[in-house]
Amino acid sequence: MNKKIKSSLAVVSAAALAFGIASVPTASAAAKTFTIGYQGPLSGGEASTGIDEQNAVKYAIKLFEAKNPGFKIKLVSIDDQGDPAVAGTVAPGIASNKSVLGVVGPAYSGATIASLPYYKSVNMALISPSATRVSLTDPTSPDFGGPIFHRVVGKDDLQGPALAKYATAGVSAAKVFVFDDQSAYAVPLRGFVEAGLKKVSGATLVGGDSVPNTTTDFSPTIAKIKTSGATVVIYTGYYSQAAVFIKQLRDSGSKAVFAGGDGVFNQEFPKLAGAAAEGSKVTGVGGLAGVDKKMEADFVKKMGVSSGVYSVESFDAANILLAGIKAGKTTREKMLAFVNAYSGKSISGNTIKFDKNGDISYGLFAGFTTKNGVLVNTGIVK
Amino acid sequence: MFSVLIDQFWSLTIAGIALGFIYVLISLGYTMVYGVLRMINFANSEIFMWGTFGTVITSRDIFHYTQTSEPAKGAKLVLVLVSSLVMSMLVAGLTAIFVEFVAYRRLRMKGTNRLATLISAIGISIALQEIMRLLTHSRPVGAPRILEKIILTEIWGANIRLDTVITIIAAALIFFVLERFIKLSRMGKAIRAVSMNEDAAKLMGVNLNRVITTTFLVGGLATGAAGFFYITVFEYTKFNIGFTMGMAAFTAAVLGGIGNIRGAFFGGLSLGLLEVYASAVLGTQWKAVTVFIVLVLVLLFKPNGLFGEAVQTTRA
Repeated sequence: MNKKIKSSLAVVSAAALAFGIASVPTASAAAKTFTIGYQGPLSGGEASTGIDEQNAVKYAIKLFEAKNPGFKIKLVSIDDQGDPAVAGTVAPGIASNKSVLGVVGPAYSGATIASLPYYKSVNMALISPSATRVSLTDPTSPDFGGPIFHRVVGKDDLQGPALAKYATAGVSAAKVFVFDDQSAYAVPLRGFVEAGLKKVSGATLVGGDSVPNTTTDFSPTIAKIKTSGATVVIYTGYYSQAAVFIKQLRDSGSKAVFAGGDGVFNQEFPKLAGAAAEGSKVTGVGGLAGVDKKMEADFVKKMGVSSGVYSVESFDAANILLAGIKAGKTTREKMLAFVNAYSGKSISGNTIKFDKNGDISYGLFAGFTTKNGVLVNTGIVK
Repeated sequence: MFSVLIDQFWSLTIAGIALGFIYVLISLGYTMVYGVLRMINFANSEIFMWGTFGTVITSRDIFHYTQTSEPAKGAKLVLVLVSSLVMSMLVAGLTAIFVEFVAYRRLRMKGTNRLATLISAIGISIALQEIMRLLTHSRPVGAPRILEKIILTEIWGANIRLDTVITIIAAALIFFVLERFIKLSRMGKAIRAVSMNEDAAKLMGVNLNRVITTTFLVGGLATGAAGFFYITVFEYTKFNIGFTMGMAAFTAAVLGGIGNIRGAFFGGLSLGLLEVYASAVLGTQWKAVTVFIVLVLVLLFKPNGLFGEAVQTTRA
């Protein structure tokens, strides 16, 4: 290949990488086209979360277009793999795409922090369905996302108590052992779980540990659990480690109840852990079926798959942006003002209204229990 | 603080020894190559990771065991375990030879300096990890349970489990065989000769290339065996597990005195025990800190590690 052609190709492909999603909608004659964005992991190890969320956004758009024939909505999705390093390279592309009015996402807290500067500079309204880290809406923190960041998911300070309650349900005078995987997600969550335990009558905290997320040999932690006489073990961390741990715990002969937070909430968990996972309890944010069975059936019909994690939240988030478009908020500034002042109903029946830091007042954490190798929704933890 | 250690001392000790033997076998991969080439084989951690997949593929794809199938019994159990072990050793051994060809041999032939091979070894280790990441879609891979983890007996309150017993005995056996091979066989003598003096060995008619390839192969076989035991005990692998295990095994090799086979043995065992005791007493977050404090102290008083006489003298 000619060198000149080669280098010009390189420039073009680099541009395509940066602006690949930036194909500006061509003005169509009939319906007016508007664009919203989605940012989350669509490839890599976390892809299943992003694909579930994106499906819920697409579903919301389908319903909206059916109801409002005058509007056509274009969805621009960018894949940050849930990784802050990747997010920092893809967020500028969507931020500079002038047609995007608002973004559902970013899905993950770390990726959100890395993307925020690019969105802040263009006043892009963000509504995350799943970034739960507390610091994102804490004005005293450097991670603070205001005034552009919003979320329709409960923070970890709501999840912690829910997890404490769900883990100890049905265990009288529960002796609880809590340990984390040392990640930025797990350490604060462990704190909120321990605080939540104080409000559960009869439960006592008997011990804890902090285990690097690369650990595969959990024997020292298991030794501590046995010495503490714990009847409930709560892990704040991710599903792959949880699967390794629960196998070793069961092999050691312990019958303590095992529970984990939304990091463990993944159908891969029972698959990896096999029989050892039976009866394990996990809090997480589930599919549409948890709030509306009829809607779930319609979702399956229209999308061809069942709704997955954070679909209620993603659906709600997309609907807020779509309501803004319907109300004629067709610049980013107007859209941001609209979202900040928004008040409406979630499909869960709760009222969505953001406080001045971008938080909603409720958190919907459902409890899941492993039965026959599948995490089964047992309803919202109240 | 010490109540856990006192209460669970024997359970911890047995777990530490089993983990230690896995370290011993991986650190052989580092020590063998270092002994001969005076270079660290940075790709050994990924050779280990590939080795773990050898076992997974054998049990899952060749013998069609799944996460939900019953553990094997009797002759079938022995067959599956032995073929998994052989497969892991083979995969890791071949990967090690591949690493030697790609990252070491060509550069050595061109007479480049040592740092060049260091970088090429890091390069191939990244490549090996990324290939596995793409093949597994970045997901963790669970291994089916082949060996039922029966509790054989209870000694001083500790459960003696079948998988740990097998790991300890078989790993010790493999170590012993390799050590004898280096000590007694013709090839082993050639390896030691090259380790002592490369030029003199060449003049005596030792085929240098063959010796170096064999060294990588033997190190790879040991590392692959470690991969098999790792899967048998933990039943889990992922494209990035190599780094942590490789780092630990490398530490073990340095602790015992790198380049020294007996050093790898005692270094691995002491590291395994040290890790579980430190985690139990101080909390798992202090594991790495404790290990490295001990390493620094040992190196302060014995700069060549616990068994750190020159390789040549111990091997002679």
